[in-house]
Parts: sequence; structure tokens; C-alpha cells
Amino acid sequence: MEFLAEGFARAWDLLVRGDAEVYGIALLTLRVAVLATFVACAIGLPLGYFLATRRFWGRRAALTVVNTALAFPTVVVGLLLYGMLSRRGPLGGLGWLYTWQAIVVGDVLLALPIAAALSAAAIQGVDPRIRRTAETLGAGPWRTAWTVTREARFALAAVITAAFGQVVAEIGAAMIVGGNIRGSTRTLTTSVALFTSQGDFGMALALGLVLLAMALVVNIALQVLQGRGSG
Amino acid sequence: MVELRAIRHRYADRLVLDLEQFSVPRAGALAIVGHNGSGKSTLLRLLALLETPTEGQVFFDGALVPCRARASLRRRVTLVEQRPILFRGTVRENLEFGLDVRGIAGSAANGIIGDVVERLGLQPLLDRRRHELSDGEVQRVAVARALALRPDVLLLDEPASSADRAAAGALYRALAAERAARPFAVCIASHQLEDAYRWTDDIRALAEGRLSPVTPENLFRVELPAGDGLKGIQIGQVDLFVMTDRSGPAVLAVPPTDIFVSKEPLPSSARNVLSGRVTGMSIEHRGAGVQIRADVGGVELVAAVTAEATRDLALGPGSPVVFSFKATAVRVF
Repeated sequence: MEFLAEGFARAWDLLVRGDAEVYGIALLTLRVAVLATFVACAIGLPLGYFLATRRFWGRRAALTVVNTALAFPTVVVGLLLYGMLSRRGPLGGLGWLYTWQAIVVGDVLLALPIAAALSAAAIQGVDPRIRRTAETLGAGPWRTAWTVTREARFALAAVITAAFGQVVAEIGAAMIVGGNIRGSTRTLTTSVALFTSQGDFGMALALGLVLLAMALVVNIALQVLQGRGSG
Repeated sequence: MVELRAIRHRYADRLVLDLEQFSVPRAGALAIVGHNGSGKSTLLRLLALLETPTEGQVFFDGALVPCRARASLRRRVTLVEQRPILFRGTVRENLEFGLDVRGIAGSAANGIIGDVVERLGLQPLLDRRRHELSDGEVQRVAVARALALRPDVLLLDEPASSADRAAAGALYRALAAERAARPFAVCIASHQLEDAYRWTDDIRALAEGRLSPVTPENLFRVELPAGDGLKGIQIGQVDLFVMTDRSGPAVLAVPPTDIFVSKEPLPSSARNVLSGRVTGMSIEHRGAGVQIRADVGGVELVAAVTAEATRDLALGPGSPVVFSFKATAVRVF
């Protein structure tokens, strides 16, 4: 018990004191997560709309692939990306291995299926009459897409939140392609793992609490949005 | 205005429409009648250029419509669905939607919206949202939203299905007033024959995706003589007796279920006793009834009887048959 109490005390001290390392890691995590969520949603939401509204050959297969990718293990994504970005890999020339950019790419790959699959489900949940009505009132494809998207906006906000949640909490890809380098690629999850293995329980706990706070904010935002959506 | 040629439309291999030719004439008023599931709504979606037929061609204003109709073409035809839906936002925002799409805003849009709002009595609803409206109100708003766009072709799928009779009358009167001010084609799918005949010039009957040669309810367009009470109107080689105080152009309908079917004339109070021959028999779409078509003096009539009655009477194609019905059974539209 004493060990736990000491850990909490040190974590509290680090957080209150505004420890540069703790907040540096938190800021990097936030930057990576926001950027990866933005990119994943910028691609995934239109992809989801396309999968939900267009009938084309192989659509069912495409949906299955996207849904299967939801359960893709983060370490496997990290491993594959490592192969691509390593010096002998096809993207080795970019020199992104062990940079924060590599973590962004890994996180985008992990969040993209979430953004695409869940937004496809959200768009499919919109009454089909909305799309037909927009079209019969003369809307072109973009205005129709916007009208349908507006109807699903609460569900889509939840999709973005879920994508952010995945990105901020994953460790496998960040560890493998980021390398957990102090001051450059150390994220909240990778550093929690590192400090725990080094026996610095207080530091790990402080970082864990920051991560928890982020997850909490994201979840509260989600609940608020869902509450408004049902009203 | 809109014409379908050699249309075969399928949903997952199920043939839902099979039409050689179907057209909505320029500035004409057309009604499509038929049971639920007869293909009326699908037909309207094809006419609205919202769906591409599995087989066949669609012509708009004489020009072939490409596979995915462009928005500029779709803007000339507007469909109001049977259960219309409003977008998020107020009634006013809904009325503005189509105008905004067409680049009409500000005072021009306000003027147009003001007109339709007045015609359909929507003033008190303008600031309401969809969940604050009844089904009938949603339907009126949806019709107003379509009318505001001044389309060349307006397609209405059961436009008065959620309205009471008074509201339905008001809706059709508003439509008629709008058409008097600016001629445009209207095509109404309805199961209310009364509405169909009162507000349109022509009726097509649809049964299981095909145009039916006989309208389901034995309809005759006639000129009623002046006077009250019993009137005999010649149709083909037969006189049809009807009780009405109406005069002038009208449509008579004989409900198939009100026709007695027998092998020989029976002594009864029925004023209409018509002898002829069975030309066809078909099991009704739903239920165990049988529809018996007969040629009675050059007029084709359909009677609905039970399968048991058909068996007892030993009826078959070509059999002599007598159709009897009271003058009061004939409905006048």
C-alpha cells in the first residue's frame, strides 16, 4: 500500500509542479493524435460515405475489409509499417522511421478503418428518404452528401471521437515505428510502459493519469454529443 | 414531358415494373391508381429521375436521359414521397432548401415562399421543426417545398394519405390554383379514386408492375343529364342506371364487390342487370377472392366474388354470366 501511496504522491507532485517531461510527452501525444485523427477522418469519412451510398461491384467485399481492419492488432500495423519505413523498405527513402511522423502514419492506418467503417454505418443509418429528397429538390452530389452528412452529424462526431480515442490509446505502432525516443517520439502510452519497466512508478502513474484525463474528456464529449443527438 | 419506354425495373432480380410505354404529358394531370405494392412509388421514382431503370429508356422533353441524370435535369421534376421527410431545421429552412440549390435567395426566395405558404396555409408552422409537426402537416410542408421550386413536372405519391378529407381537399385546391396560375404537369399516385378523378384528366391503373387494361373499379367517364334521382346513361350498348343529383361531366365507378354474379337474371331490386360472357378470371392480389371479367354489351366490367362462388356457379372463360347491381351502388365522382 505504501508503494502505491508513494506513487500517487509523486505523480501528483509531477503534475502540479508542471514537470516539463510529463507535459512535453502529453503535448507530443496530443499533437500526433490530433493530426492522425484529422488525416484519418479526412480520408475515412468520405470513404465511409462512398461505401454507404454507392452501389458498385465489390462493395460488400470492401465493407468486409474495412470492418475486419477494425480489429487489426496495433503491433501488426506497427510491424508492417516498420518494414515499409526501414532503410531497406520501399518507403525507407523518406527517413521517417523513429520520427513522430512515422507514429502519425501508423495511427492514421489504425484510425482509418474506424473512421470509414463507423461513418459508413452512421450514413447507412440516415433515412434513405433524406438523400432522395435532397436529390429531387435539385441538389447536386456535393450538396446531397452535405445534407445527408448533416443528418448524421452526431453519429459522425462520435466516429471522430472514437478515432481519436483509438489513436491516443494505442501503443503497439507508436512503440515499433516511433522507437520511444526521449524528447522526440515518446508518447504517453510508450512512456508509461517504459517508466513502469524502469521502476519509476510515480512517473508512469502521472503519465497514465494524463492519458486517463484525455480519455475522460473524449468520452464526456462523446456522451454530450450523443445526448444532444437523441434529443 | 417525361416518357418511359420499354421499362423493366428489378430490385434484386424481382421484376417490379414492366412497362412498354408510359408518359406524363406536358402540363397534363395524370393519376396512377393501384394496390399497395403495385409499383406506383417505383414508377414515380423513375419519372423523378431518381432511379435508373434496369432496362429501358427515359426521355425528358424528347431527349434521352443519361444513366445518372444530371442535377440540372432533375431540377425540372420534383417528387413528394408518400411519407415525406423534412430535413433538420425549421419549416422555413426546408422551404428554402431547393431555392438555395438553385441560387435563389433573399427577397426573391421570400416572395416565392410567401406565396406557397399562403396557398397551403403554413404561416403558423414556419418556425417549427419536424418533430413539432403532425404527419399531415409534414405532408403539406413537403408539397409546399416542391411547389416552391416551380417544377415542370410535379410527382405526388399519395399526397393526402396523412391528411383528413378537409385537408386533402385544401391541398388539391391549392394545387389546382397553382396550375391555373402556371401550367405544369402533375402525376399523382393515389388509392383514392375520388381524388384521382376529381383532380386529374387521365388515370392509369397499375397492377403488379404492369399497366392494367381495366381500371380496378369499373370506371366510366360520362356526361350526366340534368335533373335529380335515377338516371340512365348509355355506355357502349348498355344503359347504366345511377342515382345522383349531379349533372355534367362525371366519372361513374361500380365497385366490383357490389356486383352480384349469376348464371341467369335473378328477380331483385337491382336496376342494373347486365348479361354477357366471362372474358377472364384472376385470383385477386390479396385474399382468396376471384376477379371475374365479363363483356356485357360491349362494356367490360369486373366483379369480385369468392373462390367458392366461382366454383358453385361453374364459371369459366366464355360462360354466360349476369352482373347485377343497384343504381345506388354506382359511385359518382
